[in-house]
Amino acid sequence: MSERTVTFTKDQIATYADASGDHNPIHLDDDFARSVGLPGLIAHGMLQMGIAGTVAAEAAGGVARLRRLQCRFAATVVPGDTVSFTAKPAGPGTLQLSAVNQRGEPVLTKAAAEYG
Amino acid sequence: MAGRTYPAVTFEIEPERAAAFALAIGADPAAGVPPTFAAVYSLGATAPQLFGDEDAAIDFAKLLHAEQEFQWSRHPEPGEKVTSQGRVASDINRRGMRFVSFETETKDARGHDVCRSRALFVIRS
Repeated sequence: MSERTVTFTKDQIATYADASGDHNPIHLDDDFARSVGLPGLIAHGMLQMGIAGTVAAEAAGGVARLRRLQCRFAATVVPGDTVSFTAKPAGPGTLQLSAVNQRGEPVLTKAAAEYG
Repeated sequence: MAGRTYPAVTFEIEPERAAAFALAIGADPAAGVPPTFAAVYSLGATAPQLFGDEDAAIDFAKLLHAEQEFQWSRHPEPGEKVTSQGRVASDINRRGMRFVSFETETKDARGHDVCRSRALFVIRS
């Protein structure tokens, strides 16, 4: 099993915004995020999936072996949240992925990878 | 909007950009182009066409990325140029929300498959 635990920060989310080119203000501006009904700025789903994908690639034996990656963004992640990402074997060439926050709530669901 | 296809977009995977992306997600830049850099070279290259399409009328402020899937034939190398085409696979309204499924196909310079992706966007009313 591969795993990684990450405590999200505003700086990390802003760094991901620059690296990905996704500058949607819901990820950068607390006031804007609240104006559209969010608790404040939230992490990119793709930042969570990126970390899950990194853990999956480790479990698969390298990026080159990863054939498929999927997930549902089930809950928002805000700065200060601590999320544990895991990748567990779930059959030949298949990994079950999970991402659970400090309250035990899954933030990614239907998360899986295939490799070979 | 279902069935609408957008013009193909070519994206050069600059090694520095792929490395910066790896660092941003806590990955080792030496491990190769991160798998989810596909969010940049495939989805990021094409989705702005959907978001900017007046006919699609997507309110970006109410947009949530609900699901994502990537399938790779192979992972691109740093420095490679890839070409991606986006398509609206489905567009339905349910319980006052709109669900748009957006698919992309990414090919290499020789026209061989690299990556296919499917994003589900939910637009809240």
